Amino acid sequence: MNTIVPKNRNILIAVDASENAKRAVLYVKDLLVGLPGFHVTIATIIPRPPEDYFITEEEKNTWIENQNKTAQRILEDYRQIFIQADFREEDVVSHLVMKECTSLAECILDELKRLSCGTVVIGRRGISRKEEFMFGSTSSKILHTAKDCSVWVIE
Amino acid sequence: MNEIGYSGEQQFSPDDLKDRIAQWVGTDRVPKRLNIITDTSDFYRVDYDDVVVLGGRSYLIRNNEREGRFGIDDQQKYWVKRARDLSDGSVKIIKLVFHERFEATVGGIIFDCYRSPQKEARILDLTRDHPRFMQGFSISDASNNLIRVLEFIKGKTLADAVLLLGKDHEDYFYNHLPSVLDEFIDLVQAIQFLHSRREKHGDIRRDHIIKDSTTGLARWIDFDFNYLHKENMFGYDLFGLGNILVYLVGRGDVTVQKLQQESSPALARLTANDVNIIFNNRVVNLQKVYPYVPEALNLILLHFSVGANTYYDSTEQFLHDLLEARENLNHG
Repeated sequence: MNTIVPKNRNILIAVDASENAKRAVLYVKDLLVGLPGFHVTIATIIPRPPEDYFITEEEKNTWIENQNKTAQRILEDYRQIFIQADFREEDVVSHLVMKECTSLAECILDELKRLSCGTVVIGRRGISRKEEFMFGSTSSKILHTAKDCSVWVIE
Repeated sequence: MNEIGYSGEQQFSPDDLKDRIAQWVGTDRVPKRLNIITDTSDFYRVDYDDVVVLGGRSYLIRNNEREGRFGIDDQQKYWVKRARDLSDGSVKIIKLVFHERFEATVGGIIFDCYRSPQKEARILDLTRDHPRFMQGFSISDASNNLIRVLEFIKGKTLADAVLLLGKDHEDYFYNHLPSVLDEFIDLVQAIQFLHSRREKHGDIRRDHIIKDSTTGLARWIDFDFNYLHKENMFGYDLFGLGNILVYLVGRGDVTVQKLQQESSPALARLTANDVNIIFNNRVVNLQKVYPYVPEALNLILLHFSVGANTYYDSTEQFLHDLLEARENLNHG
């Protein structure tokens, strides 16, 4: 049955292979279990290195293939967490994007908009102040720049 | 075959090349037997006195470059050659292709770095005729290696030049720093130009700025470094700019050790928050060492300290504050 889910019940969980991403998945599952009317998209965005990172085309293709395989496995594992908690199959989908990202936060927010989700859920990686200083923090950037949506940052 | 070239490029005979070598480096320096190279894939085999032919021009190879100007340590860079352009006798730097990929560690943070001839070639195109960047062009050799042919910049690094200014820090601060800051602002604007076109410098540090003795202008060099960025694409470049600013304001590194050696009274005023967030031996809160450093300028420096509450996200923000601080220096 295809029903239109209101934007605020359309939730995007941005994940990677980390433990904090898994915590975000488990948090949403525990929060929504048994509640009808929500749609969950579990999304992985793989920042693709610039073309000049790869020395050969073959190396690039192998990299892409490996990254895709790993991400698909993780997404399916996370999706099964919901299915085993009796979420309907059609209410939990996975979504994989690979693209060059100036900022991962911006890429996540672009997907949020594209998929008409009203809530974005991320796990906080807990990076050091030094690392945030030098390379920035995705969760901080999302918190500061997200518009017209709710942001859940899971510790 | 007596003529050397490839893909229809201009051909050179060995005698012609020997004549040119004699013209530019002297008859007594002409090698008896010429080794002419069109494929530079194995850069270890491109050696002193060889002639590299690229796109209709020939270059007599001299020594390998050493660090301080190109690379990381004071080591020979076998893929970076000083050369004489046999068309006009000018000195060139020829960077051959070296696909290096490694994990860099700065302040305990590990990130992926690599050398990219393509990136350097793009930036050379992007910054053509820009007075704040080294100049040159890229060209493929016979095996499609992307070689960069760079104008040699004669001059000291900006860092070395600054150390010669002023009889002491106070004299430097009042009589030289304003013009040093003007120059630095131009250099930051040059980096902003790159960032606005989604290019990183990639390896911003003080020995990558050469004060060109011909034009008198400081110029950025060495653009082939790249790193896989995380959230902030330009964060590492900004960190480099901050370090240079602290160095310029301090007229060199002001380290805790140096202050201890001098038994500086400033030591009593310093706290753990006053040092560089990454390099904890460098003092960033320079106002505590030199009380005449004005607030606006010192506040910029503090963005790079352990005690910082906010960091710069972009070169625009950094530049904005810098221009304001420079303006205040006029009215201070």
